Amino acid sequence: MIGDHTNAGNPLSGQPALEDERLVRALAEGNQEAEREFAVRFLPRVRAMLRARLRGSDVAADLVQDVMIESISALRRGSLRDSSKLTAFVLAIARNVLYSHFSDVKRSPESLEFPDDLPDLRSLSEELEGEQRRVLAMNAIAGLDPTDKMILQLTLVEGLKPGMIAEKLGMSSDVVRQRKIRATRRVADYVADRSQNASPVDYTAGKAR
Amino acid sequence: MNPCDRVPAIENAASYMAGTLSQSEAEQFEDHYWNCPACLAYLQALEAVGDELAREPAPQVAPAPKRRVLAWPVPVWALGAVAAAVVLAVVGVRTLGPHTETPSQAQSAPAGSTSSAPTAQIASSSPVRQTATELADLALPAFSGSTLRGAGMEAHFEEGMAAYSRGDCKGALSALAKVPAEDKQERKAQFYSALCRLHEGDLAGAEAGLRGVVDGGDSLELEAAFYYLAQIDLARNDAAGAHGYLVRTIALRGDLERRARLQDQKVLALKKATDASGTTNSK
Repeated sequence: MIGDHTNAGNPLSGQPALEDERLVRALAEGNQEAEREFAVRFLPRVRAMLRARLRGSDVAADLVQDVMIESISALRRGSLRDSSKLTAFVLAIARNVLYSHFSDVKRSPESLEFPDDLPDLRSLSEELEGEQRRVLAMNAIAGLDPTDKMILQLTLVEGLKPGMIAEKLGMSSDVVRQRKIRATRRVADYVADRSQNASPVDYTAGKAR
Repeated sequence: MNPCDRVPAIENAASYMAGTLSQSEAEQFEDHYWNCPACLAYLQALEAVGDELAREPAPQVAPAPKRRVLAWPVPVWALGAVAAAVVLAVVGVRTLGPHTETPSQAQSAPAGSTSSAPTAQIASSSPVRQTATELADLALPAFSGSTLRGAGMEAHFEEGMAAYSRGDCKGALSALAKVPAEDKQERKAQFYSALCRLHEGDLAGAEAGLRGVVDGGDSLELEAAFYYLAQIDLARNDAAGAHGYLVRTIALRGDLERRARLQDQKVLALKKATDASGTTNSK
């Protein structure tokens, strides 16, 4: 058992160094509770990164699992000596997995030999948060002016730059840029503010009972 | 969760998600948001929005027709507004008495000056009024030619903005009035002319010009037009009117959002204090 779960708070909150040290030590001892805590903290970051970098590709979900499992396996082996570098360590693994995917390089066989006693990393509370975010996003989009909605779609979904959007919509690129910033802020503030107001993550979700 | 004070996190998040950052920029942003709860939340929010937009695409928007650019001087209907504003201004000046100063007297800083320029000092006999007018931010914003990315400046506009940058509002007004109505910089010319009128103490003229900018539809100057309309109302001691324009400024979520939000808090606090003192006095 590591840490006091009642005091765990929001997984997005900053983690003090002492907390990292305790987490890394517990992971090296193969503590499954620590592995769940690790997942609660890092899964959102890894998922956000890979989904963004892979532009919503279906392969993102598989790579997220790979990153989480590789990270836990490496931490079990005690590969991280300086616990203050925990975040950088996981980020490096995530990049490694991502760039390997991009360059289509076959991953080393060791990295694919995952232990079979890993905990279930799925979290009901995270799924609920995702669903809540989806509903909030829908509401935020519904409140947008049709042109702003189109600008956001061309930016976020189709990855077009303001100049190209401007050409498509018959506007100046400065106006597109300005509207894009405003609309982005509006929807992101709406979703992020209300998501924060949601009840805190249930750390016991997914825990074997 | 503390908001991220790194600029411009939200733009980075959108570009990161759109895949338009270079690899090193993307990595820099990752180094940041992996340690920044606010930016991670922004990114997750944008991902959710992107998912929804991908699931249910926005209906096609027809290319915008070329919007009619409002001519300067303003058309007849706007003159009515100007006349009304002039009447209000005259009444206001009379009410305010002999100590009244115009913004131009109160504000000596030239265009391009920062917010360190003095705020309007349209004094009044009432302490509440004095406080309201003191809230007005009449410092003229700097003009940056770089906003005209890749576009050559029309000769009169260039001349007018050079005068504006020197703080020569009369020269600026004279040159900007010659910018052809069909020129793409006409809206900017109208906006900066209004600011010059504000600087000259012509609140009604400034208001008419800024309203013209607003009525012209979305433009780069729209947010600033709302903001300066709020300043005009503050200078006139109209806290309720100023609040209305500040709310519209904030709603645009642009560069002036933060400034407008802070000022609106002060305006609302002042309004509350005024209402409370009115209630006390009436008892």
